[in-house]
Amino acid sequence: MTPEPDLRDALLAAVPSLRAFAISLSGQVDRADDLVQDTLLRALSNLHRFERGTNLNAWLFTILRNLFHSEYRKRRREVEDPDGSYAGRLKVQPEQGARLDFEDFRSALAKLPPDQREALLLVGASGFSYEEAAHICGCAVGTIKSRVNRARFRLASLLNVDDVDDLGPDSMTRAALQNS
Amino acid sequence: MTGEKGNKLARVIPEEFLDEKLTAEPKLDSTSQKRIGDQLRAMYDELMQQPVPDRFKELLEQLDKKDLETPE
Repeated sequence: MTPEPDLRDALLAAVPSLRAFAISLSGQVDRADDLVQDTLLRALSNLHRFERGTNLNAWLFTILRNLFHSEYRKRRREVEDPDGSYAGRLKVQPEQGARLDFEDFRSALAKLPPDQREALLLVGASGFSYEEAAHICGCAVGTIKSRVNRARFRLASLLNVDDVDDLGPDSMTRAALQNS
Repeated sequence: MTGEKGNKLARVIPEEFLDEKLTAEPKLDSTSQKRIGDQLRAMYDELMQQPVPDRFKELLEQLDKKDLETPE
């Protein structure tokens, strides 16, 4: 199989979204870039497994996600405090003119369990459908829905969005009105 | 990937059944849900707009010179 220029362009075009996902998932730019690099290398050596005409991005995200999790499991055995160190490293993150308001959001995101974080990132930010996200994570659609739901709820309470801890009649009424 | 099988099974389960199961969990009102979603996308968009590091361009440019049929 020879690398077609089209495919090379498609891979390059996928890099920004792979990086955004990897950075948000791992909380570290360096580690994210290593993940993206490993993803591209693995994709290139497994190109024969890619079904033409299917979603290339979803395939690449699947590879990246699996690499992240096998690495995460390995690290958890080795490293003392993976969650704490993740949150700490996130603060190094803001680069070129990153807005300060994202700081709170990023550290809240870091507090989510990895499976909830990934589900929310896939569906809420990367533009995948629930079905595609389920495919990427190798689980049922209902599991993804439930993880996204829990992730949102937890973020809202960590960020004190609209005082979700205080579920008074006002917010209930508002929700009811907006759903109608 | 092994995820395929799970996904095909998942498609067979009717959506209503899954939604029903979800009602047992805490759910956000849509205002809060929108705010979370907006913040998430804003943060993500910023990451998406970062320039692609040269290492990736170089990696893919090497494809021109090297046949994929013979990975080292």
